Amino acid sequence: MTGKAAGGTSRGSLRSRLLAGTLFWIAVSIVAAGWSLGSLFRQHVEAQLHAELTTHLDQLTANIGVDDAGRPLLQRPLSDPRLERPYSGCYWQVDAIDGARGLLRSRSLWDSVLDAPRDAPGDGEIHRHRIDGPEGARLVMVERVIRIDETPSGNGGTFRLIAAFDEALMDEPVARFRSALWLALGALAAGLVLAAVMQVRVGLAPLRSLRAALAAVHGGATQRLEGNFPGEVMPLVDEFNRVLAQKAGVVERARTQAGNLAHSLKTPLSVLANAADAAISAQADHELGRLVREQVDVARKQVDYHLSRAQAAATRGASTGDSTPVGPVLDGLARAMRRIHADRAIELRIHPVPASSSFRGDEQDLQEMLGNLIDNACKWATHHVEVAVRSEGSRLVFVIDDDGKGIASEQRGAVLERGARVDEQVAGSGLGLAIVKDIADLYGGELSLEGSPLGGLRVALRLPRT
Amino acid sequence: MRILVVEDEPTLRAQLADALRAAGYATDCADNGVDARHLGETEPYDAVVLDLGLPRIDGVTVLKSWRASGHAMPVLVLTARDSWHEKVAGIDAGADDYLTKPFHMEELLARLRALLRRAGGHSSAELRCGPLVLDTRSGRATVDGRLLPLTGHEYRVLAYLIHHCDQVVSRSDLIEHIYEQDFDRDSNTVEVFIARLRKKLPPGTIETVRGLGYRLAEPR
Repeated sequence: MTGKAAGGTSRGSLRSRLLAGTLFWIAVSIVAAGWSLGSLFRQHVEAQLHAELTTHLDQLTANIGVDDAGRPLLQRPLSDPRLERPYSGCYWQVDAIDGARGLLRSRSLWDSVLDAPRDAPGDGEIHRHRIDGPEGARLVMVERVIRIDETPSGNGGTFRLIAAFDEALMDEPVARFRSALWLALGALAAGLVLAAVMQVRVGLAPLRSLRAALAAVHGGATQRLEGNFPGEVMPLVDEFNRVLAQKAGVVERARTQAGNLAHSLKTPLSVLANAADAAISAQADHELGRLVREQVDVARKQVDYHLSRAQAAATRGASTGDSTPVGPVLDGLARAMRRIHADRAIELRIHPVPASSSFRGDEQDLQEMLGNLIDNACKWATHHVEVAVRSEGSRLVFVIDDDGKGIASEQRGAVLERGARVDEQVAGSGLGLAIVKDIADLYGGELSLEGSPLGGLRVALRLPRT
Repeated sequence: MRILVVEDEPTLRAQLADALRAAGYATDCADNGVDARHLGETEPYDAVVLDLGLPRIDGVTVLKSWRASGHAMPVLVLTARDSWHEKVAGIDAGADDYLTKPFHMEELLARLRALLRRAGGHSSAELRCGPLVLDTRSGRATVDGRLLPLTGHEYRVLAYLIHHCDQVVSRSDLIEHIYEQDFDRDSNTVEVFIARLRKKLPPGTIETVRGLGYRLAEPR
């Protein structure tokens, strides 16, 4: 039973709605986490390098001295080995305050000189700049101006100390961190997506079992929705079961009312008919008696016809969940027929019914259809009536044969004609067939008349099966 | 032959009783399920005409309780509800035949005759015993084709005896099956009817079996 078949249009699935929402938020959070963790790490690395630069600058400050000629000189080498490796990315340089560059340089600078912008930091200040370094590298540099006071030899001077490092030194660990980070976040995202899919599956499982329960009701296996459902779904199930029960109650009341109406109409009709009979037997050409008798017959047929139609229509409206095993219905009818037609030496033979043949519909409707057909056959048969049932795809086919006179092929259509006036029907055959055809139509079934191999009429009734 | 009519609608009940009496049956009536059940269990009816829509206890329940207590008299069910569901339920409860309202009285009488005949093991509507023939349809008795003039009570006695042809029928049996319930039964009158019948029938047709009762037999 799809949403479309039931008349509503399907507006996407709950599963894809839930999944789309979850996936969107997973993607947003993972990207945001990656981006912010990446930049935090970069800041951290940058801060670390700056700290190193300051250390270099401090070491440089501590170890700088002046020779006798007043030139700066490094009294002790700096500890960081990178400063000794050419173009390692870590550099230092000492400039004269008047502009002479590269009075002293780290070995790592080899033969290049840092071109620091003109600047004059105040006493104790550290300034920071970005400059171009050797081989096109971008450098971050810090500088400080120190004054070396008179030495014992009487020399002194003011110098500009510079420490720098290549920005590329920062990029490498950041890139390494980023790739590891994205890998981890990717794994986390995959895990979250999997969890979301599982959650949606598990969360929507009750809906699937609800659908199965509904299918069982529709297919006739059960009369109500069976099973335990979560608290959010259970009220829905209970309401639905109430509706089903109410529908069944409506049918039952309609039936009882139809029965009561029949009783209250037919008993006075019986009285009228008997009074008319008495009048006719007293005086054969009693006109009023004949009129009453005739009209009572018409009234009876009309009542029968419309009652059976009303009952079948009421049932059909509410019998979506019914399933009627064929075997017991046929057995009951066979017992009734043998009793009712006991005077006529009719051999009624019911062929074995295939196991699990069930009619998708109401038991009383099936009884009414088969009862009328078998009763007709017994009325018209000479000696034999045979009833057989077989499955044909999604249908049950009932075949009822008799060895009576049959109906000429050109008249068969007229007997079944819809809308034929009931009071014109041949007593005992036409009315019954018209009722059967009406009920069968309500179930989407078919009624057809053929010649029987037994010599009389064969009636084939096709009905939906469960 | 004694019949019980169970019908709650007074006019219809009266029509049924009149028609049955006119056809030669001793007829009792009940208008509710409780009385019907009691009568069916205490009186030896040859057949019952039972309406299903009854006050107090419905007809199917009455029928089931008769069958459960071993009363096997034929029952013709009358109902307004013409559905096979009810017919099957009625037959399964123990009904022998089914008639839907409104009905022709002739049809009811014919069905009833058929039920009585079947219960007695007879296959024809004409019951024979030697030269004596009783046509249950017309209610006429003939001997060698000659019509016997019979009163109502004489007919009832003869009909009961011929339904049980060649069987011994006790006098009390005979009384129970020819008189209606509230009739003042005088056993001597049965002997009067037998004596009158003997005069009209060939000698030896009705035998007296001493201490047991009467037997209708072919005259030897």
